[in-house]
Amino acid sequence: MNLFAVSISHHTAPIELREALFFGDEEIKQFVEKTKGNLFNEGLVISTCNRTEIYGIPVHKELQYSEILNSIQSIKSVNDIRPGHFKNLFSREAVTHLFEVITGIDSLLIGDNQIYHQVKDSFQLSEDLHFTGFLMKRLFDFAVKTGKRAITETEISEGAVTVSYAAVQLIEKIFSSLSKKSALVIGTGESGEIAAKHLMERGIGKLAVTNRTIDRAEKVAQKLNAKILSFTNFKEYLHEYDIIISATSSENLILTKDDIKTAMKKRNYANMVLMDIAIPRDIDPASKEIDYVFYNDIDSLNIIVEQNLEKRKGEIHKVKKIINEEVDNFFEWYNSLEVAPTIKDLRDYFEAVRVEEVDKNKNRFSSEDQEKLEIITKRIINKILHHPTLELRKLNQSDNNIDETAIKMSLLRDLFGIDNNKPASSNQGSEKEGKDN
Amino acid sequence: MKSLIDLFNILLPLFYIVTFVIYSYDFTKGGKKFIHSKRLFLFLTLIAHAVYLILRTVYFDHPPITNVFEIFTVLAFSISFAYFILELVTDIRGTGPFIIIISILFQVISSFFIQDLTEVKTVLRNHLLGFHVFSALIGYAGISISAVYGVLYLILYKEIKLNKFGLIFNRLPNLETLETLSFYSAVIGFVLLSVAIIIGIIWLPKAFPNFSYADPKLIGTSLVWILYGAGILSKIFGKWKGKKVILLSIIGFVLAILSTTITNFLSQSFHSFY
Repeated sequence: MNLFAVSISHHTAPIELREALFFGDEEIKQFVEKTKGNLFNEGLVISTCNRTEIYGIPVHKELQYSEILNSIQSIKSVNDIRPGHFKNLFSREAVTHLFEVITGIDSLLIGDNQIYHQVKDSFQLSEDLHFTGFLMKRLFDFAVKTGKRAITETEISEGAVTVSYAAVQLIEKIFSSLSKKSALVIGTGESGEIAAKHLMERGIGKLAVTNRTIDRAEKVAQKLNAKILSFTNFKEYLHEYDIIISATSSENLILTKDDIKTAMKKRNYANMVLMDIAIPRDIDPASKEIDYVFYNDIDSLNIIVEQNLEKRKGEIHKVKKIINEEVDNFFEWYNSLEVAPTIKDLRDYFEAVRVEEVDKNKNRFSSEDQEKLEIITKRIINKILHHPTLELRKLNQSDNNIDETAIKMSLLRDLFGIDNNKPASSNQGSEKEGKDN
Repeated sequence: MKSLIDLFNILLPLFYIVTFVIYSYDFTKGGKKFIHSKRLFLFLTLIAHAVYLILRTVYFDHPPITNVFEIFTVLAFSISFAYFILELVTDIRGTGPFIIIISILFQVISSFFIQDLTEVKTVLRNHLLGFHVFSALIGYAGISISAVYGVLYLILYKEIKLNKFGLIFNRLPNLETLETLSFYSAVIGFVLLSVAIIIGIIWLPKAFPNFSYADPKLIGTSLVWILYGAGILSKIFGKWKGKKVILLSIIGFVLAILSTTITNFLSQSFHSFY
């Protein structure tokens, strides 16, 4: 299969180059306009903060990787970029790489399932730009299926791998339902905002924020539909909150052990979780000595993150096994795009149409005429298919490139919608998967 | 039928052990290998156990409650059955090994020492006694499960407090859920023990000529009952929560076990039938 792929990612290039080569939607559009019909018949561009990848079925099988790099540089002129910053992949390697990307095992944060959605979005964009054809669509179906299998059949995406998610995971180990709980986020900088966002996503019942600068607090509160507490007197309301996340840049402690003790007395020692994700710390670590107070700082949350990353690494071999199976399935399907099966499918398709129409209308004819109807319609179908069948057989006999033949077969299948009406067994599954999303 | 009963008597501990091993494997290794099938193993074990209890009842012509080793097999069944229902209702699957091990304990003792009694005292064939014993046994199953969840709560509480994020942290349900499971199991246990005590107070004096309110078993059970009642009320009225209620539940369970052991093996009581 003549599938070309070039990839620049955290494996091959520093962040400055990856950032410089990030393709926005508009730039992808320019790239597609430039390369479609010139370099590629069909293709896919994936661009995220960590990687930019281009997959394509070439117009000419002699396509050079340098031509692809030149096209990239014509859109994104970046200094200091060298061919060594790109990974060049071909055929099975390219398919395997796409599957590794969508399953998250090639990600910087192993098992990050955000990439699964990013690949899907990228494919949607390619489709909107009419850059996808029969082969890319099928490749995408198989990629999505592989991604789903990795998520459901392994634990590659399980467990928190960022500090703010680890905080949420820990909170969920204490409380059964966040919808009945209240949380206060002290400090609405980047970390505080992310933590507040995670809590909202997990359905926290009541969210309040407080910040030394009220403007910033207002901005975050508005975004997350949270209540604002004044930074000068928020301690008076501490007892009303089950979860307190602190992420300020203060040099001194914001909450002392006595503050927590007072709040705990007021709330009759109902469980309280303190998450101190600030450096230096905002909450007195001695607070953990108080009964029913669960105190955690960055170090303890990092223990969870490290453990989960290790667990995910341990799942990679299972994901690779799934990838191998799906790559095999994909190539099995691809190899079925030969001339003989296509001729058979085409004839079966026409025959099915003929039988359906004859069955629908045969009552309009006398029993004698029904027999004639059968013969005549069969003869029509044979005549219609005679020339295409001969041409297809010629394709098989000539020294045609296998990819060109496959694309022609795929065009033919697309033209008559053969795969929609009579899908191969492997297609059925992947089409269903596609529709689920 | 007798040989079938004997066969089940040998097989039941093995069935429970196999189920325990599968639950434990799932607990320690995680993954998706046994996440659904382990429940099927428990279900089949319970079916086998139910068949065994029915066969005993039919063949020996009395329910298996006439001596402590018959009671142990019913208790083993009740505990695992109660857990099975709890797992189905709550879909909390990570606590099985800690409950099933109690069933193993009771069933192994029962299988070793159980006797085939065809002749039992007439009073032990009485239906009211059946209700009394069965409600007491399910009550004990309730408080056993409550105590197990209580212990798990205390372990997880300590692990989180000490920032230990190991197997217990990863596999057990959250603290609030453990507290709720322990509390509701205790409530069910308390209600059924109340039923057993009420039947006992009304009927036992008539059935046993040597009945005495100073009987150690009655005193022990009453203490357990008062302890659970006090714990449940203080929790309902918001006075106590968390560790305090949990500790009360564990103490109640230990007291119940001591009471049963003392009355059946050590002291002279009208409650001792073996």
